[in-house]
Amino acid sequence: MRLTYTETQQAFRAEVREWLAAHVPPAPLLTLECEEGYHQHVGWERQLASGNWGMVTWPESYGGRGLDLIEWLIFEEEYWGSGAPLRVNQNGIFLLGPTIMEYGTPEQKARFLPPMAAGEVIWAQAWSEPGAGSDMAAIKTTAYRDGDHYVINGQKTWSSRASFADWGFGLFRTEEGSQRHKGLSFILFDLDTPGITRRPIRQLHGHPGFAELFFDDVRVPVENRLAGEGEGWNVAMATAGFERGLMLRSPGRFQATARRLVELFRQHESAAVPSAREAVIRAWMDTQAYAYNTYAVAAKIMAGGKIGAEASLNKIFWSELDRAMHRTAMQLLGAAAELRHLGDGTINDWLEGYMFSLSGPIYAGSNEIQRNITAERLLGLPRVGAG
Amino acid sequence: MDMAVAPERLELAEAVRDYLAGTHGAEVLRRLDAGPNRDPAIWQGLVEMGLTGLLVPEAHGGLGMGLLDAALIARECGRVCLAEPLVESAFVATPWLIAQGQTDNLAAVVAGEHRPVAAHTVNGWVADGEGEPLASIDPLRRLAALPEEASDDSLLLDLGALMSAAQLVGLAEAMLDQAVDYAKIRTQFGQPVGAFQAIKHKLADVAVALEFARPVLWRAAQALDDRAASASLHVSHAKVVATDAAYLSAESAIQVHGAMGYTYEVDLHFWMKRAWAFGGAWGARAFHLARIATAVIGGAHPIGPENTFA
Repeated sequence: MRLTYTETQQAFRAEVREWLAAHVPPAPLLTLECEEGYHQHVGWERQLASGNWGMVTWPESYGGRGLDLIEWLIFEEEYWGSGAPLRVNQNGIFLLGPTIMEYGTPEQKARFLPPMAAGEVIWAQAWSEPGAGSDMAAIKTTAYRDGDHYVINGQKTWSSRASFADWGFGLFRTEEGSQRHKGLSFILFDLDTPGITRRPIRQLHGHPGFAELFFDDVRVPVENRLAGEGEGWNVAMATAGFERGLMLRSPGRFQATARRLVELFRQHESAAVPSAREAVIRAWMDTQAYAYNTYAVAAKIMAGGKIGAEASLNKIFWSELDRAMHRTAMQLLGAAAELRHLGDGTINDWLEGYMFSLSGPIYAGSNEIQRNITAERLLGLPRVGAG
Repeated sequence: MDMAVAPERLELAEAVRDYLAGTHGAEVLRRLDAGPNRDPAIWQGLVEMGLTGLLVPEAHGGLGMGLLDAALIARECGRVCLAEPLVESAFVATPWLIAQGQTDNLAAVVAGEHRPVAAHTVNGWVADGEGEPLASIDPLRRLAALPEEASDDSLLLDLGALMSAAQLVGLAEAMLDQAVDYAKIRTQFGQPVGAFQAIKHKLADVAVALEFARPVLWRAAQALDDRAASASLHVSHAKVVATDAAYLSAESAIQVHGAMGYTYEVDLHFWMKRAWAFGGAWGARAFHLARIATAVIGGAHPIGPENTFA
């Protein structure tokens, strides 16, 4: 254990900080959940890519910098510390990208990763179906072979970014008559393929942050399948591991929220309930604990280890701490909590953030499912019910 | 930057774990409870493993290891609810004496013949010291009235708080294990109670609390070993989260055991009472939360994503 950064790491931090200071938009972008804000965020992704910051851990040949996970964490710390925009391509760079890196053919890597890092192709996920939410193995949407194509029929829902994104990825039933986890394949598809209908769904905040996708004889080339036919479940579990575990929610994002919460508390301290003080201290403690744990996981992966079911512990922790921090802020704001704009005309980010934080314990596998996984796979308690 | 605990450090802690698991089971606690609470043979075993000299420099015949190694081993002592005063003597009082330059008696410390006692004003008592005895709910604690010469030194307090936190983590882990074991064998409604989600989710919450208490503990141990300027803040952080995890684990474990958990016959109570003891010892929650508030809300310590390791 060494709690200091090397000179190289410090120099890298300085380089990131300098670039961000010169490029982060001075005024916040519109929310990426609305069409105009989406395009602003795509513009930001391309600006990041122009500085070669799209995904620093990827090999240079795919648009990255070939850096290690500690440097990625340093980048993330500086990124969130600078107030830079949310990553509209998070489904791509943090979830699908690492999955392609692990399961993709050389051709797939060369085809999909560079435009992902460049912000040229923005990705949506397509896991859930009306009858397959927490019980994802109940997927019914089919993709049956017809020559060198799959023909997709069915429906996906709660598809993040799908209202405006370019491509999607998801699990489809490729074997007729197959049940549960078997016979599923992981398929990538152009969202503009004929036969796909997108129906945007308004979220709590009123913007179409996700969409329903209807598939009507949608023809997708077989080479868009990741890993073997029928191996989709295992691939999806790897993606879920990236989602719940290391990549999707890097600690810097929450540490930045904790810092803002401390600021807010200082402004409202005289009127705050006594419990708010401990809640604010807890925000610092929990975001720090999350950061230490992430550094430890990064070290483990760098030493050749893998993320297993402990990703579920992670997901429970970050989603519930994010909700708790925003709940505390809502309470500190008092009567102003409901206002969409604060006195100075800026967007009430605490309100927007609180709404978003309510989705955290639901998406990426509900926290009830994560607690089941924790109890069964980490603690060894007996399984019942869901197979 | 490396947050991993090095494999060779883990190996030493695992050797201690194996030794304690083989020699210090719950039946030992029951035997000590029925008798004089302390057993020279157990102490001698710890001495022979070199643990009394763990933090003593090699020049003085010790192993010359660091506070992270000691915290890893203190966790193992908590895991078996060790009754002998190894942690407070060898991992709290001894490194403090060394830091004060009091190195005259170290050979006797390493040999286990002299056991330094850690007396601090933050506690209203001293553990395993001389003086008027005080009754603890923990049947294996031997408390005495605080001597007049007790110190108010901050390093001693940080060492005590850190090592209490380490033992609390071990206690919490052991209580979770006991609850899981019981939930697997106790059947109701025709199935193990551990198959019910109400039980699973309760125990999963303990697992979450522990997963995110451990790295705080290791980070605090390393910071104090480095004598980092912010070490006290990180020790307080560790003490608070370890205390909370231990209380959560204890309350969850007794609940999972049902009425059995409320008896003296089930082993759980030894661990639970020790958790109550360490939760209040070496600065209770209020003390450590106040230290954190001063640093974090008061602005003395830089916070935010760029300051993870400040």
